[in-house]
Amino acid sequence: MNQQETDYRKQKAKSRLAWGVAIFFAIFWLLVALIPFAFMILNSFRKQFDMLSQGVFHFPDPWFFDNYPNIVKNGFFGYFFRSVLIVGISLVLMLIISSFAAYPLSRMSFRLRNLIYAGIVACMSIPMHVTLIPIFKMTNKMGLRDNLFALLGPYVTFALPMSIFILTAFMMTIPKEVEESAQIDGCNKFSNFFQIILPLSKSGLSTLAIYNGVSMWNEFAFANTLLTSANQKTLPLALGQFKGEHSADMPLMLAVLVLSALPMIILFIIFQDKLVKGMMAGAVKG
Amino acid sequence: MSKKKNTLARENARSTAFAATVFLLPALILIAIYMIYPIFDTFRTGAFKWNGISADRIYVGLANWKTLLADKVFWSSFSHNIIVMIFSILLQIPIGLLLATFLDASGRKANIFKIIWFFPYLMSSVAIAFLFNYILATNGGLFSSIATLINGKRTLVDLLGKNPQALFAVIGVMAWQFTPFYMVYFIAGYSNIDTTLYEAAIIDGCTRKDYLFKIAIPLLGPIFKTACTMSLIGSLKYFDLVFNMTQGGPARGTELMATYMYRLSFSEFNMGYGSCVAAGMFILITFIALLFNRIFVVKEDY
Amino acid sequence: MKRLLATIITAAMTLSMFSVGAAAEEAKNIPELTSEPLTITLWDIATEDPTKSIQEDAVQRFMADYPNITVNQVHQMNDNYKQQLIVAMAANECPNMYIHWSGGPMAEYYKSGFVNDLTDLYNTYDHPDFIDAAIAQASYDDKILAIPFGGLSGCDIFYNKVIFEEVGLEVPETIDELEEVCDKLIEAGYVPFSLANGSKWTGSMYYMYLVARHSGNDEFAAAYDQTGSFTSEAFIWAGEKIQDWVKKGYFNDGFNSLVTDNGEDRALLYDNTCAMMLHGSWQIRSITSDSAEWAQEHLGTFRFPKDAEAEAKGVPQDVEVGTAIGNGFSFNCFKEDGSVDEDMLNACYVLATQYYNDDIYNERQMKENSTIPSIKGFETQVEDPNNKVVIDVFFNASNVQLWYDQYLPASVTEVHKNCMTELFGLEKTPLEIGEEHDAAMKAALAE
Repeated sequence: MNQQETDYRKQKAKSRLAWGVAIFFAIFWLLVALIPFAFMILNSFRKQFDMLSQGVFHFPDPWFFDNYPNIVKNGFFGYFFRSVLIVGISLVLMLIISSFAAYPLSRMSFRLRNLIYAGIVACMSIPMHVTLIPIFKMTNKMGLRDNLFALLGPYVTFALPMSIFILTAFMMTIPKEVEESAQIDGCNKFSNFFQIILPLSKSGLSTLAIYNGVSMWNEFAFANTLLTSANQKTLPLALGQFKGEHSADMPLMLAVLVLSALPMIILFIIFQDKLVKGMMAGAVKG
Repeated sequence: MSKKKNTLARENARSTAFAATVFLLPALILIAIYMIYPIFDTFRTGAFKWNGISADRIYVGLANWKTLLADKVFWSSFSHNIIVMIFSILLQIPIGLLLATFLDASGRKANIFKIIWFFPYLMSSVAIAFLFNYILATNGGLFSSIATLINGKRTLVDLLGKNPQALFAVIGVMAWQFTPFYMVYFIAGYSNIDTTLYEAAIIDGCTRKDYLFKIAIPLLGPIFKTACTMSLIGSLKYFDLVFNMTQGGPARGTELMATYMYRLSFSEFNMGYGSCVAAGMFILITFIALLFNRIFVVKEDY
Repeated sequence: MKRLLATIITAAMTLSMFSVGAAAEEAKNIPELTSEPLTITLWDIATEDPTKSIQEDAVQRFMADYPNITVNQVHQMNDNYKQQLIVAMAANECPNMYIHWSGGPMAEYYKSGFVNDLTDLYNTYDHPDFIDAAIAQASYDDKILAIPFGGLSGCDIFYNKVIFEEVGLEVPETIDELEEVCDKLIEAGYVPFSLANGSKWTGSMYYMYLVARHSGNDEFAAAYDQTGSFTSEAFIWAGEKIQDWVKKGYFNDGFNSLVTDNGEDRALLYDNTCAMMLHGSWQIRSITSDSAEWAQEHLGTFRFPKDAEAEAKGVPQDVEVGTAIGNGFSFNCFKEDGSVDEDMLNACYVLATQYYNDDIYNERQMKENSTIPSIKGFETQVEDPNNKVVIDVFFNASNVQLWYDQYLPASVTEVHKNCMTELFGLEKTPLEIGEEHDAAMKAALAE
């Protein structure tokens, strides 16, 4: 057995051990992530009394299936479609506007660049609750009182600073030469953006879609302040139907939350594949 | 010749400025309307003594700011925020990076891990607050049960009812909720790295470890920095879970700047001072965030 | 406070004599409403059934009778309601008719010009015969500012009859007897009280009652206007008693981390860990809706026991802690120039007194919501045995002390609630929390 072979074996054993440890922790984390989620689902199949008397971390005994039909009966799909509508539109607009803004901030040098960048960071620091009153007033002035689309402005804008910030970082990782070679080919800044930079920022954009999609989907404060009638409200407000001044039907509320998490999970399963493909197939074609 | 070059450069600069303006304009307009105006309004309101609803408000100049500087509750909330910030960065980012690295290394096979690891991020704060209240409960909660098992006799761990552990319990739950996002973020970061780099590295005889530490992680630089900034700002203005789970208690032990500001403005009829707290909070967060970005300069190639 | 009560009682007496005189059912003495189109915005917190359907029904019946008037009924969520109201008021978009819990916030809304004074309307026109405590609670500065409609809530001890029987316990009459009961329960392996003090106002109930039993209304009233102090004898006694009880294990472990909205205190009753729970009487409704069977077999109610020593000294033992109105409606009917919009105010008054609070409404409140209206005469109509105890205690009370956390000014409320966690957590002495209360109260009075 020569030296090289021993080394190779040692290395292989070492890497096997490393993988073992990694998989152990991976499974541990899997449980940490899964267990609360699983109990959210399990508890949605119980009656409140059973949940309280048997304990929250107990399998449903007996299983109780009426929570879901009850939710659907209470207009779940209306809330659901309004949420899809407003989150969908806000997300698309937000992605377009933020990638527009991130492009000059990451790849051009101009006078106000650093100042604007610092301004973006400052905007990320604004506590959301101070904007409630001014935005409520503004919305009424625009004639959008109690209108689903009143959420469009706040949703897009409050996602912008963070998104611009992230996209700027992503666009910075794209090698400079890519653009230079295109410029020689006679492309201007605009076609550069659409033909080169935007396609190369796909992974950044999908991260942002996930991040902001989830936070818009669960957004409560603006929706609660700007929408008042039942036929305009979004999904997070549907919880109110099952929670009064002194009472809350927790299993019913958890059932609502399960149903609202479900589409996010499905979308994530679709989207996350895009994230890996970048690596597998080499989305970056220099 | 030089004159021509000059005009060309100027022309170039002008066209760059033009393009920059066009690209930035939509974002800047929206931000001005929905963010700059409200924050300006906050600073103005902070100069009044006002219950938030009355038509008459009394101009008090800098009196609120003086109160703020001496306000023990505010500064203890701020210190809670700093603790949350430090531990959030120390927990969320490294675990997120670790998970992403594992997924990046194992490829498609590990998809199921990725999907389930992401679940916590999809749960709404209402459900998280509810379930973790029970998980952390002294009686019959997870930690008490584990302690009882280890100790062999009935042992109670009071995580949410006592200080300072309540704050750390909140930090733990926050880490649980937000780590998945950083995981996805770093996966995206990895996938943005040119695959040819990896191929070239392997051909050059690099091990995976070498590739990871010498090529991939340095290339993640800017991404890593933004992740830290996000976690930093996020934890300094955090509100949700604390409001839903502990209401700032026990005895203000988990009071954060945002919950304090909210309580003053919306339940104690002290909008003037509440706005001043919000403005102070805004200044502090911006300052810390910019300082962080100054200190951790990553080579920016543009 | 007492003087106010006296005025109101006299007023109510004159009124009731008057209404006896005009008792004829058909001749209702109510303001004539406008025939012009009118839109009223109404905010309530009735997001869930049956409350939602009961209140929507009242509004629908009103609109059917007055087709020219549109009521835009908006259901806000309870959790963020106070914030919503402040946002609307700050933007000068305050609803014309809105729910609140009276106490400190009602005074604040009134002082800021969002509440119509109803004293004249109330004295001129018909209205339900509200109990005195309800009108006292709907008043501020000798003016009636709200019409009650949410029903009253007492605060009593709910106990597990089966456990009491098993251990051989009688319902205690005095605090000493209560302590004996607790000791016996501990011996038998039960925790006496279930407490979810993460919510803070739950622990406050013990504090309020002990203070009230030891000193009647006097010491709290004196502490409230700071002629006395929150460090006076009854407060110290109450604080010490609580800390003594905590040390003796009268409360479940980790009570400071439990939240009552999550049902964590009820859970401890259901799984037989705890035998008793001091709580608001809405718990009867919650427990019944969780499981009517359990309520039937296990649930019993008794009033907070007497302080025998104080009673011997002549301290009244019939002060009740709770709320006499639950919720009230205040009206915000003003014209652009700041004058009262009489048409709208009359309409709101008729809606609140004749549709909310009418027989149909009250019957549904009793049957579907097991809520007792704060109206005289309803005490005899209660059938549920537990609610019967609540109502007997309530109607025989010499005074109803509104929950401190609603009665005190908002800034003092925060201090009070935090002090409750620290008191129960044995982190501060009764004297220390008394001093904190005093400091906050002084600051609030200075404004």
